[in-house]
Amino acid sequence: MAYKASENDLMAYLYGELEGKEKEAMEQYLLENAEARLELEKLKQLRTLMGQVRDKEVIVPTLFVGDHRRSYFYHAPYFKTIMSIAASLLVLMLVGKLFGLQVGYVDSEFKLTFGKSEESRPLEKISSPATITQAEIQQMINASLQENNEAMQASWSETQKKLDVSITRNLALNSEKIDKLVRQSSDASQEQIKEFVAGMQAENVKLVKNYFQLSSTEQKQYIEGLLVDFAKYLQQQRNDDLQVVQTQLKSLEQNTDVFKQETEQILSTIITSVGNKSSLGAKN
Amino acid sequence: MTETLLDIAMMHSDDLIAQAKAGDQNAQGKVVQLWYKRIYNFSYKFFQDHDMAMEVSQKTFISMCRNLASLQENARFKSWLYKIAVNYCREEARKKKSSRSLSFDVVWNKEAEDSPQWESSSHRFDNPERQFQQKELAEALQDAMLELNDEQREVVIMKEYEGLKFREIADALNISENTVKSRMYYGLDALKKILERKQINKETIGYGL
Repeated sequence: MAYKASENDLMAYLYGELEGKEKEAMEQYLLENAEARLELEKLKQLRTLMGQVRDKEVIVPTLFVGDHRRSYFYHAPYFKTIMSIAASLLVLMLVGKLFGLQVGYVDSEFKLTFGKSEESRPLEKISSPATITQAEIQQMINASLQENNEAMQASWSETQKKLDVSITRNLALNSEKIDKLVRQSSDASQEQIKEFVAGMQAENVKLVKNYFQLSSTEQKQYIEGLLVDFAKYLQQQRNDDLQVVQTQLKSLEQNTDVFKQETEQILSTIITSVGNKSSLGAKN
Repeated sequence: MTETLLDIAMMHSDDLIAQAKAGDQNAQGKVVQLWYKRIYNFSYKFFQDHDMAMEVSQKTFISMCRNLASLQENARFKSWLYKIAVNYCREEARKKKSSRSLSFDVVWNKEAEDSPQWESSSHRFDNPERQFQQKELAEALQDAMLELNDEQREVVIMKEYEGLKFREIADALNISENTVKSRMYYGLDALKKILERKQINKETIGYGL
Protein backbone atom coordinates (compact mmCIF):
# COMPACT_ATOMS: atom_id res chain seq x y z
CA MET A 1 0.00 0.00 0.00
CA ALA A 2 2.86 2.26 0.68
CA TYR A 3 3.81 2.17 -2.96
CA LYS A 4 3.02 5.36 -4.85
CA ALA A 5 3.73 5.15 -8.54
CA SER A 6 5.84 8.04 -9.77
CA GLU A 7 5.37 9.71 -13.16
CA ASN A 8 8.63 8.20 -14.32
CA ASP A 9 7.54 4.70 -13.41
CA LEU A 10 4.24 5.24 -15.15
CA MET A 11 6.09 6.19 -18.31
CA ALA A 12 8.33 3.15 -18.08
CA TYR A 13 5.31 0.93 -17.56
CA LEU A 14 3.45 2.54 -20.46
CA TYR A 15 6.29 1.76 -22.81
CA GLY A 16 6.93 -1.70 -21.38
CA GLU A 17 10.29 -0.87 -19.89
CA LEU A 18 9.42 -1.87 -16.34
CA GLU A 19 10.53 -5.30 -15.26
CA GLY A 20 10.50 -7.69 -12.35
CA LYS A 21 9.45 -6.44 -8.96
CA GLU A 22 8.84 -2.91 -10.10
CA LYS A 23 6.41 -4.10 -12.76
CA GLU A 24 4.55 -6.22 -10.27
CA ALA A 25 4.33 -3.36 -7.79
CA MET A 26 3.00 -1.09 -10.51
CA GLU A 27 0.35 -3.61 -11.59
CA GLN A 28 -0.71 -4.06 -7.98
CA TYR A 29 -0.91 -0.31 -7.56
CA LEU A 30 -3.05 0.04 -10.68
CA LEU A 31 -5.42 -2.64 -9.49
CA GLU A 32 -6.01 -0.77 -6.28
CA ASN A 33 -5.99 2.73 -7.67
CA ALA A 34 -8.80 3.54 -10.08
CA GLU A 35 -7.48 7.06 -10.72
CA ALA A 36 -4.12 5.80 -11.86
CA ARG A 37 -5.86 3.24 -14.00
CA LEU A 38 -7.87 5.93 -15.69
CA GLU A 39 -4.79 8.02 -16.33
CA LEU A 40 -3.00 5.06 -17.84
CA GLU A 41 -6.01 4.37 -20.02
CA LYS A 42 -6.04 7.92 -21.30
CA LEU A 43 -2.36 7.74 -22.05
CA LYS A 44 -2.89 4.54 -23.99
CA GLN A 45 -5.66 6.19 -25.97
CA LEU A 46 -3.37 9.08 -26.73
CA ARG A 47 -0.73 6.67 -27.96
CA THR A 48 -3.14 4.93 -30.33
CA LEU A 49 -4.20 8.36 -31.60
CA MET A 50 -0.57 9.33 -32.12
CA GLY A 51 -0.02 6.07 -33.95
CA GLN A 52 -2.10 7.51 -36.78
CA VAL A 53 0.82 9.62 -37.86
CA ARG A 54 2.66 7.42 -40.30
CA ASP A 55 6.17 7.65 -41.59
CA LYS A 56 6.73 9.63 -44.73
CA GLU A 57 8.41 7.84 -47.56
CA VAL A 58 11.60 9.43 -48.70
CA ILE A 59 14.01 8.83 -51.54
CA VAL A 60 17.50 8.57 -50.18
CA PRO A 61 19.71 11.09 -51.97
CA THR A 62 23.21 10.27 -53.00
CA LEU A 63 25.63 11.64 -50.50
CA PHE A 64 29.12 12.59 -51.55
CA VAL A 65 31.13 12.28 -48.46
CA GLY A 66 34.50 12.03 -50.09
CA ASP A 67 37.43 10.12 -48.70
CA HIS A 68 37.95 12.22 -45.61
CA ARG A 69 36.90 9.66 -43.04
CA ARG A 70 40.32 8.04 -42.89
CA SER A 71 42.26 10.59 -40.93
CA TYR A 72 45.93 10.04 -41.52
CA PHE A 73 48.39 11.58 -39.13
CA TYR A 74 49.46 14.09 -41.78
CA HIS A 75 45.91 15.38 -42.05
CA ALA A 76 46.05 16.67 -38.51
CA PRO A 77 46.28 20.49 -38.39
CA TYR A 78 49.17 20.55 -35.91
CA PHE A 79 51.18 18.33 -38.24
CA LYS A 80 50.80 20.88 -41.04
CA THR A 81 51.88 23.72 -38.75
CA ILE A 82 54.92 21.83 -37.49
CA MET A 83 55.91 20.79 -41.00
CA SER A 84 55.63 24.34 -42.32
CA ILE A 85 57.77 25.68 -39.48
CA ALA A 86 60.34 22.93 -40.11
CA ALA A 87 60.35 23.65 -43.84
CA SER A 88 60.88 27.39 -43.33
CA LEU A 89 63.72 26.66 -40.87
CA LEU A 90 65.31 24.36 -43.45
CA VAL A 91 65.08 27.07 -46.10
CA LEU A 92 66.61 29.56 -43.68
CA MET A 93 69.47 27.17 -42.91
CA LEU A 94 70.08 26.53 -46.61
CA VAL A 95 70.16 30.21 -47.41
CA GLY A 96 72.48 30.77 -44.44
CA LYS A 97 74.84 28.10 -45.68
CA LEU A 98 74.89 29.47 -49.22
CA PHE A 99 75.57 33.06 -48.24
CA GLY A 100 77.90 32.22 -45.36
CA LEU A 101 75.52 33.65 -42.79
CA GLN A 102 77.02 33.88 -39.31
CA VAL A 103 75.15 34.77 -36.21
CA GLY A 104 77.01 35.46 -33.04
CA TYR A 105 76.71 37.16 -29.67
CA VAL A 106 80.05 38.25 -28.28
CA ASP A 107 80.69 40.92 -25.59
CA SER A 108 77.10 42.23 -25.60
CA GLU A 109 77.30 42.59 -29.35
CA PHE A 110 74.85 40.79 -31.61
CA LYS A 111 76.36 40.04 -35.03
CA LEU A 112 74.62 38.95 -38.21
CA THR A 113 77.20 38.65 -40.96
CA PHE A 114 77.26 37.38 -44.49
CA GLY A 115 80.59 36.00 -45.71
CA LYS A 116 83.81 35.90 -43.62
CA SER A 117 83.70 37.91 -40.46
CA GLU A 118 86.53 40.42 -39.96
CA GLU A 119 87.37 40.35 -36.30
CA SER A 120 86.90 43.70 -34.59
CA ARG A 121 89.15 45.75 -36.89
CA PRO A 122 87.32 49.00 -36.37
CA LEU A 123 87.89 48.68 -32.61
CA GLU A 124 91.73 48.90 -32.97
CA LYS A 125 91.50 51.89 -35.23
CA ILE A 126 89.43 53.70 -32.72
CA SER A 127 91.79 52.91 -29.82
CA SER A 128 95.04 54.26 -31.42
CA PRO A 129 94.31 58.00 -31.54
CA ALA A 130 93.47 57.93 -27.85
CA THR A 131 97.26 58.09 -27.03
CA ILE A 132 97.76 61.59 -28.53
CA THR A 133 97.24 64.40 -26.05
CA GLN A 134 95.23 67.49 -26.57
CA ALA A 135 98.25 69.76 -26.67
CA GLU A 136 99.82 67.70 -29.42
CA ILE A 137 96.72 67.94 -31.46
CA GLN A 138 96.68 71.67 -30.91
CA GLN A 139 100.30 71.88 -32.01
CA MET A 140 99.63 69.83 -35.10
CA ILE A 141 96.70 71.97 -36.00
CA ASN A 142 98.73 75.16 -35.46
CA ALA A 143 101.61 73.88 -37.59
CA SER A 144 99.35 72.93 -40.42
CA LEU A 145 97.54 76.24 -40.19
CA GLN A 146 100.85 78.13 -40.33
CA GLU A 147 102.02 76.17 -43.34
CA ASN A 148 98.77 76.82 -45.00
CA ASN A 149 98.97 80.53 -44.24
CA GLU A 150 102.51 80.85 -45.62
CA ALA A 151 101.65 79.07 -48.80
CA MET A 152 98.61 81.28 -49.17
CA GLN A 153 100.67 84.42 -48.59
CA ALA A 154 103.27 83.42 -51.18
CA SER A 155 100.81 82.62 -53.86
CA TRP A 156 98.84 85.77 -53.09
CA SER A 157 101.84 88.13 -53.45
CA GLU A 158 102.93 86.41 -56.63
CA THR A 159 99.55 86.85 -58.22
CA GLN A 160 99.54 90.49 -57.02
CA LYS A 161 102.80 91.17 -58.82
CA LYS A 162 101.65 89.52 -61.98
CA LEU A 163 98.49 91.54 -61.89
CA ASP A 164 100.35 94.85 -61.43
CA VAL A 165 102.69 94.17 -64.37
CA SER A 166 99.93 93.23 -66.68
CA ILE A 167 97.87 96.28 -65.68
CA THR A 168 100.69 98.77 -66.33
CA ARG A 169 101.47 97.18 -69.67
CA ASN A 170 97.88 97.34 -70.69
CA LEU A 171 97.61 100.97 -69.61
CA ALA A 172 100.64 102.06 -71.66
CA LEU A 173 99.43 100.27 -74.75
CA ASN A 174 95.98 101.71 -74.47
CA SER A 175 97.11 105.35 -73.98
CA GLU A 176 99.40 105.22 -77.02
CA LYS A 177 96.63 103.86 -79.14
CA ILE A 178 94.20 106.52 -77.96
CA ASP A 179 96.69 109.41 -78.59
CA LYS A 180 97.32 108.23 -82.11
CA LEU A 181 93.66 107.99 -82.83
CA VAL A 182 92.94 111.46 -81.43
CA ARG A 183 95.77 113.06 -83.45
CA GLN A 184 94.67 111.41 -86.65
CA SER A 185 91.17 112.53 -86.15
CA SER A 186 92.13 116.19 -85.40
CA ASP A 187 94.35 116.55 -88.51
CA ALA A 188 91.74 115.15 -90.73
CA SER A 189 89.07 117.44 -89.45
CA GLN A 190 90.96 120.77 -90.04
CA GLU A 191 91.64 120.02 -93.68
CA GLN A 192 88.13 118.80 -94.23
CA ILE A 193 86.61 121.93 -92.71
CA LYS A 194 88.65 124.21 -94.93
CA GLU A 195 87.60 122.30 -98.02
CA PHE A 196 84.05 122.18 -96.87
CA VAL A 197 83.89 125.94 -96.17
CA ALA A 198 85.41 126.83 -99.53
CA GLY A 199 82.93 124.60 -101.29
CA MET A 200 80.16 126.19 -99.31
CA GLN A 201 81.22 129.75 -100.16
CA ALA A 202 81.49 129.02 -103.89
CA GLU A 203 78.10 127.41 -103.86
CA ASN A 204 76.59 130.32 -101.95
CA VAL A 205 78.00 132.91 -104.34
CA LYS A 206 76.62 131.03 -107.28
CA LEU A 207 73.26 130.70 -105.65
CA VAL A 208 73.01 134.36 -104.71
CA LYS A 209 74.02 135.51 -108.17
CA ASN A 210 71.46 133.33 -109.80
CA TYR A 211 68.87 134.43 -107.36
CA PHE A 212 69.50 138.17 -107.89
CA GLN A 213 69.52 137.81 -111.64
CA LEU A 214 66.29 135.93 -111.55
CA SER A 215 64.63 138.26 -109.12
CA SER A 216 65.72 141.52 -110.89
CA THR A 217 64.23 140.47 -114.22
CA GLU A 218 61.02 139.31 -112.48
CA GLN A 219 60.82 142.59 -110.53
CA LYS A 220 61.25 144.62 -113.69
CA GLN A 221 58.46 142.77 -115.43
CA TYR A 222 56.28 143.00 -112.40
CA ILE A 223 56.81 146.74 -111.91
CA GLU A 224 56.23 147.45 -115.57
CA GLY A 225 52.99 145.54 -115.45
CA LEU A 226 52.09 147.37 -112.32
CA LEU A 227 52.68 150.78 -113.86
CA VAL A 228 50.62 149.94 -116.92
CA ASP A 229 47.79 148.71 -114.75
CA PHE A 230 47.95 151.80 -112.61
CA ALA A 231 47.81 154.13 -115.71
CA LYS A 232 44.80 152.24 -116.97
CA TYR A 233 43.14 152.54 -113.64
CA LEU A 234 43.71 156.30 -113.47
CA GLN A 235 42.27 156.77 -116.99
CA GLN A 236 39.21 154.79 -116.07
CA GLN A 237 38.80 156.79 -112.90
CA ARG A 238 38.93 160.15 -114.77
CA ASN A 239 36.36 158.93 -117.28
CA ASP A 240 34.05 157.84 -114.52
CA ASP A 241 34.46 161.20 -112.74
CA LEU A 242 33.69 163.11 -115.93
CA GLN A 243 30.53 161.14 -116.48
CA VAL A 244 29.43 161.79 -112.92
CA VAL A 245 30.04 165.54 -113.29
CA GLN A 246 28.10 165.68 -116.58
CA THR A 247 25.09 163.86 -115.06
CA GLN A 248 25.23 166.19 -112.06
CA LEU A 249 25.24 169.15 -114.26
CA LYS A 250 22.31 167.84 -116.26
CA SER A 251 20.24 167.19 -113.16
CA LEU A 252 21.12 170.71 -111.86
CA GLU A 253 19.94 172.20 -115.16
CA GLN A 254 16.70 170.27 -114.95
CA ASN A 255 16.17 171.38 -111.39
CA THR A 256 16.65 175.07 -112.27
CA ASP A 257 14.14 174.68 -115.12
CA VAL A 258 11.57 173.17 -112.78
CA PHE A 259 12.22 175.84 -110.23
CA LYS A 260 11.80 178.65 -112.90
CA GLN A 261 8.47 177.20 -113.99
CA GLU A 262 7.26 176.92 -110.40
CA THR A 263 8.18 180.52 -109.64
CA GLU A 264 6.46 181.69 -112.84
CA GLN A 265 3.35 179.81 -111.82
CA ILE A 266 3.43 181.23 -108.34
CA LEU A 267 3.92 184.74 -109.69
CA SER A 268 1.01 184.37 -112.10
CA THR A 269 -1.28 183.12 -109.33
CA ILE A 270 -0.25 186.03 -107.12
CA ILE A 271 -0.91 188.47 -109.87
CA THR A 272 -4.30 187.08 -110.65
CA SER A 273 -5.35 187.03 -107.03
CA VAL A 274 -4.26 190.61 -106.47
CA GLY A 275 -6.22 191.84 -109.61
CA ASN A 276 -9.36 190.09 -108.42
CA LYS A 277 -9.13 191.68 -104.97
CA SER A 278 -8.78 195.17 -106.37
CA SER A 279 -11.74 194.71 -108.73
CA LEU A 280 -13.79 193.42 -105.90
CA GLY A 281 -12.76 196.32 -103.71
CA ALA A 282 -13.67 198.72 -106.43
CA LYS A 283 -17.08 197.33 -106.87
CA ASN A 284 -17.59 197.63 -103.17
CA MET B 1 4.75 -2.10 -33.38
CA THR B 2 4.95 -4.19 -36.47
CA GLU B 3 8.49 -4.80 -37.54
CA THR B 4 9.28 -4.37 -41.20
CA LEU B 5 12.12 -5.99 -43.01
CA LEU B 6 14.02 -2.75 -42.70
CA ASP B 7 13.62 -2.71 -38.93
CA ILE B 8 14.94 -6.25 -38.68
CA ALA B 9 17.87 -5.30 -40.88
CA MET B 10 18.58 -2.33 -38.62
CA MET B 11 18.53 -4.50 -35.52
CA HIS B 12 21.10 -6.86 -36.93
CA SER B 13 23.40 -4.34 -38.47
CA ASP B 14 26.30 -4.64 -36.05
CA ASP B 15 28.56 -6.26 -38.64
CA LEU B 16 27.64 -3.63 -41.20
CA ILE B 17 28.48 -0.83 -38.77
CA ALA B 18 31.79 -2.48 -37.96
CA GLN B 19 32.63 -2.57 -41.67
CA ALA B 20 31.52 1.01 -42.19
CA LYS B 21 33.63 2.06 -39.24
CA ALA B 22 36.64 0.36 -40.81
CA GLY B 23 36.21 2.62 -43.83
CA ASP B 24 34.26 0.43 -46.23
CA GLN B 25 32.40 2.92 -48.40
CA ASN B 26 29.98 0.31 -49.60
CA ALA B 27 29.02 -0.54 -46.02
CA GLN B 28 28.65 3.17 -45.25
CA GLY B 29 26.26 3.51 -48.18
CA LYS B 30 24.20 0.64 -46.86
CA VAL B 31 24.05 2.18 -43.39
CA VAL B 32 22.79 5.41 -44.93
CA GLN B 33 20.16 3.49 -46.88
CA LEU B 34 19.02 1.70 -43.71
CA TRP B 35 18.81 4.72 -41.48
CA TYR B 36 17.96 7.60 -43.81
CA LYS B 37 14.20 7.13 -43.57
CA ARG B 38 14.29 7.10 -39.77
CA ILE B 39 16.37 10.24 -39.45
CA TYR B 40 14.31 11.99 -42.12
CA ASN B 41 11.05 11.14 -40.32
CA PHE B 42 12.46 12.21 -36.97
CA SER B 43 13.48 15.61 -38.29
CA TYR B 44 10.31 15.92 -40.36
CA LYS B 45 8.22 15.50 -37.22
CA PHE B 46 10.45 17.99 -35.46
CA PHE B 47 10.05 20.73 -38.11
CA GLN B 48 6.98 19.75 -40.13
CA ASP B 49 9.01 20.82 -43.15
CA HIS B 50 10.34 18.59 -45.90
CA ASP B 51 13.26 20.79 -46.93
CA MET B 52 14.55 21.27 -43.43
CA ALA B 53 14.16 17.56 -42.72
CA MET B 54 16.18 16.77 -45.86
CA GLU B 55 18.82 19.30 -44.85
CA VAL B 56 19.17 17.86 -41.37
CA SER B 57 19.21 14.27 -42.66
CA GLN B 58 21.92 14.95 -45.20
CA LYS B 59 24.06 16.83 -42.72
CA THR B 60 23.57 14.04 -40.19
CA PHE B 61 24.73 11.33 -42.56
CA ILE B 62 27.67 13.30 -43.90
CA SER B 63 28.74 13.88 -40.32
CA MET B 64 28.13 10.20 -39.55
CA CYS B 65 30.40 9.02 -42.40
CA ARG B 66 33.17 11.39 -41.35
CA ASN B 67 33.06 10.60 -37.64
CA LEU B 68 32.09 6.97 -37.59
CA ALA B 69 35.65 6.01 -36.73
CA SER B 70 35.35 7.87 -33.43
CA LEU B 71 32.33 5.76 -32.33
CA GLN B 72 33.43 3.85 -29.21
CA GLU B 73 30.83 1.08 -28.95
CA ASN B 74 28.99 -0.24 -31.96
CA ALA B 75 25.99 -1.07 -29.74
CA ARG B 76 25.49 2.64 -29.08
CA PHE B 77 25.33 3.51 -32.77
CA LYS B 78 21.60 4.27 -32.65
CA SER B 79 21.79 6.83 -29.84
CA TRP B 80 24.97 8.24 -31.33
CA LEU B 81 23.24 8.80 -34.69
CA TYR B 82 20.22 10.44 -33.05
CA LYS B 83 22.53 12.64 -31.03
CA ILE B 84 23.97 14.01 -34.27
CA ALA B 85 20.47 14.47 -35.73
CA VAL B 86 19.18 16.26 -32.62
CA ASN B 87 22.13 18.64 -32.66
CA TYR B 88 21.50 19.54 -36.31
CA CYS B 89 17.78 19.95 -35.58
CA ARG B 90 18.57 22.38 -32.78
CA GLU B 91 21.01 24.27 -35.03
CA GLU B 92 18.42 24.59 -37.81
CA ALA B 93 15.76 25.65 -35.30
CA ARG B 94 18.07 28.43 -34.08
CA LYS B 95 18.63 29.58 -37.69
CA LYS B 96 14.91 29.48 -38.35
CA LYS B 97 14.22 31.64 -35.31
CA SER B 98 16.86 34.18 -36.27
CA SER B 99 15.56 34.53 -39.82
CA ARG B 100 11.85 35.07 -39.76
CA SER B 101 11.42 34.93 -43.51
CA LEU B 102 8.76 32.68 -44.98
CA SER B 103 9.95 29.98 -47.32
CA PHE B 104 8.46 30.02 -50.80
CA ASP B 105 7.45 26.41 -50.37
CA VAL B 106 5.42 27.29 -47.30
CA VAL B 107 3.42 29.81 -49.33
CA TRP B 108 2.94 27.63 -52.33
CA ASN B 109 3.02 24.23 -50.67
CA LYS B 110 4.18 22.54 -53.84
CA GLU B 111 4.98 19.45 -51.91
CA ALA B 112 1.34 18.90 -50.98
CA GLU B 113 0.30 19.27 -54.59
CA ASP B 114 2.48 16.78 -56.33
CA SER B 115 3.94 14.66 -53.65
CA PRO B 116 4.73 11.14 -54.83
CA GLN B 117 3.26 10.06 -51.54
CA TRP B 118 -0.17 9.73 -53.19
CA GLU B 119 1.03 7.08 -55.54
CA SER B 120 3.41 5.25 -53.30
CA SER B 121 1.19 5.28 -50.25
CA SER B 122 0.58 1.83 -48.87
CA HIS B 123 -3.03 2.87 -48.25
CA ARG B 124 -3.63 3.57 -51.89
CA PHE B 125 -6.49 1.09 -52.09
CA ASP B 126 -8.17 2.31 -48.92
CA ASN B 127 -11.47 4.02 -48.92
CA PRO B 128 -10.72 7.59 -50.08
CA GLU B 129 -12.79 9.15 -47.32
CA ARG B 130 -10.98 7.19 -44.70
CA GLN B 131 -7.69 8.07 -46.30
CA PHE B 132 -8.62 11.75 -46.11
CA GLN B 133 -9.67 11.46 -42.50
CA GLN B 134 -6.48 9.69 -41.61
CA LYS B 135 -4.46 12.43 -43.26
CA GLU B 136 -6.45 15.11 -41.51
CA LEU B 137 -5.95 13.49 -38.12
CA ALA B 138 -2.22 13.03 -38.78
CA GLU B 139 -1.92 16.72 -39.64
CA ALA B 140 -3.86 17.77 -36.55
CA LEU B 141 -1.62 15.57 -34.38
CA GLN B 142 1.54 16.94 -35.93
CA ASP B 143 0.33 20.50 -35.47
CA ALA B 144 -0.33 19.68 -31.83
CA MET B 145 3.19 18.30 -31.54
CA LEU B 146 4.66 21.51 -32.88
CA GLU B 147 3.09 23.32 -29.96
CA LEU B 148 5.28 21.40 -27.51
CA ASN B 149 8.57 22.94 -26.53
CA ASP B 150 11.66 21.59 -28.28
CA GLU B 151 12.87 19.51 -25.34
CA GLN B 152 9.57 17.70 -24.94
CA ARG B 153 9.10 17.29 -28.68
CA GLU B 154 12.51 15.65 -29.09
CA VAL B 155 11.75 13.10 -26.39
CA VAL B 156 8.18 12.39 -27.56
CA ILE B 157 9.23 11.79 -31.16
CA MET B 158 12.21 9.65 -30.19
CA LYS B 159 10.12 7.53 -27.86
CA GLU B 160 6.79 7.29 -29.63
CA TYR B 161 7.83 7.23 -33.26
CA GLU B 162 11.47 6.20 -33.28
CA GLY B 163 11.06 3.56 -30.60
CA LEU B 164 14.24 4.36 -28.69
CA LYS B 165 14.53 3.10 -25.17
CA PHE B 166 14.61 5.67 -22.37
CA ARG B 167 18.24 4.78 -21.77
CA GLU B 168 19.09 5.41 -25.41
CA ILE B 169 17.31 8.79 -25.41
CA ALA B 170 19.18 9.75 -22.25
CA ASP B 171 22.39 8.77 -24.00
CA ALA B 172 21.57 10.77 -27.14
CA LEU B 173 20.58 13.91 -25.23
CA ASN B 174 23.27 13.66 -22.53
CA ILE B 175 20.71 13.80 -19.75
CA SER B 176 19.58 11.34 -17.06
CA GLU B 177 17.03 8.66 -17.73
CA ASN B 178 14.72 10.15 -15.11
CA THR B 179 14.81 13.52 -16.83
CA VAL B 180 13.86 11.80 -20.09
CA LYS B 181 10.90 10.06 -18.44
CA SER B 182 9.83 13.28 -16.78
CA ARG B 183 9.97 15.18 -20.07
CA MET B 184 8.03 12.35 -21.71
CA TYR B 185 5.33 12.49 -19.06
CA TYR B 186 4.91 16.26 -19.28
CA GLY B 187 5.13 16.11 -23.04
CA LEU B 188 2.31 13.60 -23.27
CA ASP B 189 0.31 15.53 -20.71
CA ALA B 190 0.70 18.75 -22.68
CA LEU B 191 -0.21 16.97 -25.89
CA LYS B 192 -3.32 15.54 -24.28
CA LYS B 193 -4.42 19.01 -23.23
CA ILE B 194 -3.74 20.46 -26.66
CA LEU B 195 -5.79 17.74 -28.32
CA GLU B 196 -8.61 18.25 -25.83
CA ARG B 197 -8.56 21.96 -26.56
CA LYS B 198 -8.75 21.19 -30.26
CA GLN B 199 -11.43 18.61 -29.51
CA ILE B 200 -9.58 15.84 -31.25
CA ASN B 201 -10.37 12.37 -29.93
CA LYS B 202 -11.55 9.12 -31.38
CA GLU B 203 -15.21 10.22 -31.28
CA THR B 204 -14.68 13.43 -33.22
CA ILE B 205 -12.56 11.71 -35.79
CA GLY B 206 -15.62 9.64 -36.52
CA TYR B 207 -14.32 6.17 -37.04
CA GLY B 208 -13.30 3.34 -34.85
CA LEU B 209 -9.65 2.96 -34.12
